[in-house]
Amino acid sequence: MSAESESNSGLLRSLVPPDQVDRLFGVCGAHGWKLLAASAVVGALPPLLGLQQGYYMTVISEMFLFAILALSWDIVGGQTGYPSFGNMAFFGIGAYTTAILIKDFAISFPVAMVVAGLVAVAFAAVIGAVVLRLRGHYFAIATLGVLLAAQQISRNLDITGGASGKILLEVPSGTVFYYLFLGVLVVEMGVVYYLSNTRFGFILNAIRDDEEKATAMGFNTTYYKTAAWMLASLFTGVAGGAYSLFNTFIDPQTAYNGAWNVELIAMALLGGSGTVAGPVIGAFGLHTVIEVVETAFVGWQLVLLGIVVIVTVIGFPEGAVGTLREYASEMEYYKRGGMAATDSGEEVSADE
Amino acid sequence: MSKATDAAETDPQGERAVLRTDGVTKRFGGLTAVDDVDVEVQNGEIVGLIGPNGAGKSTLFNCITGTLNADEGRVYLQGQDVTDWPEYKIARAGLGRMFQETRIFGDMTVRKNLLLAAQEGGASVGNLLRRPDDSLLARTEELLDYVDLGGLADTRAGRLSFGQQKLIEFAMELMAEPDLLLMDEPAGGINPAMLENLIQYIRTANEDEEATIFLIEHNMDFVMEIADRIYVLAHGERIAEGTPEEIQNDQRVLDAYLGRE
Ligand SMILES: Nc1ncnc2c1ncn2[C@@H]1O[C@H](COP(=O)(O)OP(=O)(O)OP(=O)(O)O)[C@@H](O)[C@H]1O
Ligand SMILES: [Mg+2]
Repeated sequence: MSAESESNSGLLRSLVPPDQVDRLFGVCGAHGWKLLAASAVVGALPPLLGLQQGYYMTVISEMFLFAILALSWDIVGGQTGYPSFGNMAFFGIGAYTTAILIKDFAISFPVAMVVAGLVAVAFAAVIGAVVLRLRGHYFAIATLGVLLAAQQISRNLDITGGASGKILLEVPSGTVFYYLFLGVLVVEMGVVYYLSNTRFGFILNAIRDDEEKATAMGFNTTYYKTAAWMLASLFTGVAGGAYSLFNTFIDPQTAYNGAWNVELIAMALLGGSGTVAGPVIGAFGLHTVIEVVETAFVGWQLVLLGIVVIVTVIGFPEGAVGTLREYASEMEYYKRGGMAATDSGEEVSADE
Repeated sequence: MSKATDAAETDPQGERAVLRTDGVTKRFGGLTAVDDVDVEVQNGEIVGLIGPNGAGKSTLFNCITGTLNADEGRVYLQGQDVTDWPEYKIARAGLGRMFQETRIFGDMTVRKNLLLAAQEGGASVGNLLRRPDDSLLARTEELLDYVDLGGLADTRAGRLSFGQQKLIEFAMELMAEPDLLLMDEPAGGINPAMLENLIQYIRTANEDEEATIFLIEHNMDFVMEIADRIYVLAHGERIAEGTPEEIQNDQRVLDAYLGRE
């Protein structure tokens, strides 16, 4: 106990003691499902309490949308360690799928959205077989290439409306999209949360930390990487499928938006990649900031994004949630592990 | 157990050595890192592999695990020809490996590292989507207590000291219970107190759990004390094989270590 008070000297430590933060994480971990349910209820309330269709509802819907995209990115980027710059390809494919099915084939919106997800998954399976063989920078560049190629293809085809895109006039109300994005987000958070405590989730994390060791332990990593990649594409594709109607318009630039891809990576990193809450918190936070800056200082949002990314990567490489978690576990380590290490003579220098 | 149906897939010698290599050769450009090496490890043995730096010991291990493809020769595991199998499949067939530089999953908790190592259930979808059950969690705690790291289950593994990480890597193998465990310099870089413990753990695993172990080691006292038999490599070639006493008195071995040809 004395060691604890000694190292607790900092102002931050006295205001927010690590063990309190640790306890908070403990509570969150033990009641994850309840927290998720409570968040879903809170998220569902605003329209019921009188939030009207309009600017604020649109902004909140977009926050949900970005949270879906950031969390999807994180399944592969954060949990599995494969940072993709091409996730928006799944989004674009989903967006065009619904636009085409609804406009050209008169398919109903819900069916079209499900198909959009499945088409994105099929695309991911094919592309994944190639790009998931690459690692690090090569993977990042290859996925960016996929995004640019997909964009170019949609520009050149007739069915996608070429460079001018597709306009969708008969669309559901803003409230429908509000609940749709919220629903997809809650389901996705549930899925990721559940998986992160299963053997599958552990294997993804193992691939991220040391893929060669994971292979040496008997895991066919290609299989797991592809599964994660397809799961990410499912949610991204469905979100894209809803987006073309939400936006009432889709063209190559909007559907395959490279700047968005960077934005959602920033969101995941800011909030804390490799966690469930991190990318969602990052999306809510960064989207709010971007929205404010966009309104107040038109055209400066990309500069801000750049600054935010640099500060995060340098100052808090673990993101908000990750940094807090590390802070919380600090005491644990010194209390138990640090002591244990001293007892067993860990610091004895080498002889001979 | 044995799948003796496909003759080409089984060891022509028909023996049930846990491991047998037959003329394994590995070249890197002009350098023959492993040159026509035969080794054999029987069930329940602790076999040592020694040799000067650059002798090809780790490379031989890599050829056995499938990390590298041997240019020539065959590798048999439990009588099965695994030479052309992918690495993960060889591991799943019962081969465990500890790396020279100690590798664990640094951003995962210690508990998750151990849970991951448990082999039961395999890769079925049901098993993948299940949460670890109580018996597995209990086994994790038990093993952590055993290697004297109890209480660290929730710590991020990367925070541990090198020696502690080595113990975690070892505990992971105890969890996995491979038919054969390859250890690349387990005594490297750890302090004498911990080395004593490690020797004890390896002994116990061998005697109580009947673990079969093939280990590379530079620490002569350690390997002479623990090994039943020893192979010696120099410049990729196997220059000697025998009991620790025989090896200690072998002129070629002494020459190799003194740099004489
Ligand atoms: N991937 C590689 N590419 C080229 N040369 C290699 C490669 N791996 C090993 N070598 C070379 O092969 C030879 C054998 O290396 P190896 O690592 O197997 O030796 P070792 O016996 O394990 O040595 P140490 O005791 O230092 O670990 C060395 O000369 C090494 O430089
Ligand atoms: Mg070596």
